Amino acid sequence: MRKPPKQAALLGALMLTLGQWSAPSYGQHSDALELYQASLAATCANCHGTAGHGVQHGGMPLINNMRSDQMLTILLEYKTGARSGTIMPQLCKGYTDEQLAVIAQQLGGKLR
Amino acid sequence: MSTIANRRQFIIQSIAGLSLFSGGLTSVKASIRKAEIVVIGGGYGGATAAKYLRLFSRNAARVTLIEPNTSFISCPLSNLVISQSCKLSQLTISYANLSNRHGINVIQDSVTSIDPDSKRIFLHSGQVLAYDKLIVSPGVSLLMNSIQGLADANQAGVTLQAWKAGSETLALQKQLHSMRNGGTFAISIPEAPYRCPPAPYERASLVAEYLKHHKPKSKVLILDANQDITSKGALFKKAWATNYPGLIEYLPNHNVVAVDAKTKRITLEVDDDIQADVLNILPAMSAGEIAVKTGLANSNGRWVNVNFLNFESTAQKDIHVLGDSIQVAYAMPKSGHMANQQAKVAAAAIVAELNDWEINPSPVLANTCYSFTSAREAIHVASVHQYDAHEQTFKPVPGAGGLSPEPSALEGSYGWGWAHNIWADCLA
Repeated sequence: MRKPPKQAALLGALMLTLGQWSAPSYGQHSDALELYQASLAATCANCHGTAGHGVQHGGMPLINNMRSDQMLTILLEYKTGARSGTIMPQLCKGYTDEQLAVIAQQLGGKLR
Repeated sequence: MSTIANRRQFIIQSIAGLSLFSGGLTSVKASIRKAEIVVIGGGYGGATAAKYLRLFSRNAARVTLIEPNTSFISCPLSNLVISQSCKLSQLTISYANLSNRHGINVIQDSVTSIDPDSKRIFLHSGQVLAYDKLIVSPGVSLLMNSIQGLADANQAGVTLQAWKAGSETLALQKQLHSMRNGGTFAISIPEAPYRCPPAPYERASLVAEYLKHHKPKSKVLILDANQDITSKGALFKKAWATNYPGLIEYLPNHNVVAVDAKTKRITLEVDDDIQADVLNILPAMSAGEIAVKTGLANSNGRWVNVNFLNFESTAQKDIHVLGDSIQVAYAMPKSGHMANQQAKVAAAAIVAELNDWEINPSPVLANTCYSFTSAREAIHVASVHQYDAHEQTFKPVPGAGGLSPEPSALEGSYGWGWAHNIWADCLA
């Protein structure tokens, strides 16, 4: 998928940062960091399923088979208003870019 | 001792449940394996807390859930049952997955008392459970004595609340069904805060839709103790004017102080008495009875103050309180969605604490609430609440969240989509 250079750069920077991201301040403690990431992504589970596994034919758009980079692009588009929707533009504006990146990393399939 | 017996009964099964983590388990402390974690109440808050304590601890935590009902029955969407737009069985879900799939020890019983000093829980059956960490998620208690005559009228089967889904939902459906054409269905709303702010207005909408089709000479009378509609006001008013002209009468600042079972008369604080055919009288509410009884309701004796980083009661150490029972932060609704979100913050904090990890200093809560304005169409309100470390509370993010522009069938289908997914998130 081709993206405008600026957006690609932002995505790249966010995805790269996640590798060594320590915020809030878990330092080297990987289990604590993973718990933080899982609990942040769990704020999406009410509508999109535990761990992003939504109910099939449940009536809610599924994110089950989305890649992390696609998901982050979409979440950021909702946040900036570039993409329209009913509730997602309103919810995405409540998260920081870093939080959206953690969520996308957590719930999306990883880049190969 | 029964606690020991209970521990022995607690067989850790091989879990085929969902994994939230990609990596292996590297540093889970023994303390989390030894700790007895008990959850009281299997609603949106408690069921989610029990499941996520297992998921977040990679199935290391020992979790017991105490719930008196045989199945979970959803309050959200239950107004559709009253208007005969869906069946109660569609909103009823078994607790079996919590035990079979997630290894939670589900006990069908009610709690008689909690002794925070000895950290013991006394059950109605006589069983005694010890806890190291306790989560209390008992919903709301309806304060029947806040309206004169209400307890008697309820006893006589004249008034109903149906504010906890189940047999009362069906009883209210029956009262509506039996009401004469030309009758008045009165619903009274207490001063906020109460469980689920938009629900009375949703109920009025759906009852009006039923009346429009089946008893068009009738009306819905809303007696609201509040100054105006407490949630989605403009959207409800628009839907009423468009879909149900002449069928809904809305009276703000109308606080019900008494009800008479014999004459079906409602006494108001500021206006003349009113007579109605169906009396859906909602009294003021407080934290669930067990929370109040345990001395946790330290906000005006009605709600429980909590530390918002882990939802621990400020009255008792190691007792965490979720959902409708808590004294909410600014603009935080008493909703099932919010209880589910709070449960995940609390579960993560308890898992972190028992592992001697730092608790997440910046948790996030999101709220989504769909209300049906007809059997087909719905509206939403949404918000995102970030923790503010300076003020030690959750604050809604300015510019985020909001309302639907208008009722739509698309959001009606999302309303059901929300329900199917949150039920799975709590219970599957």
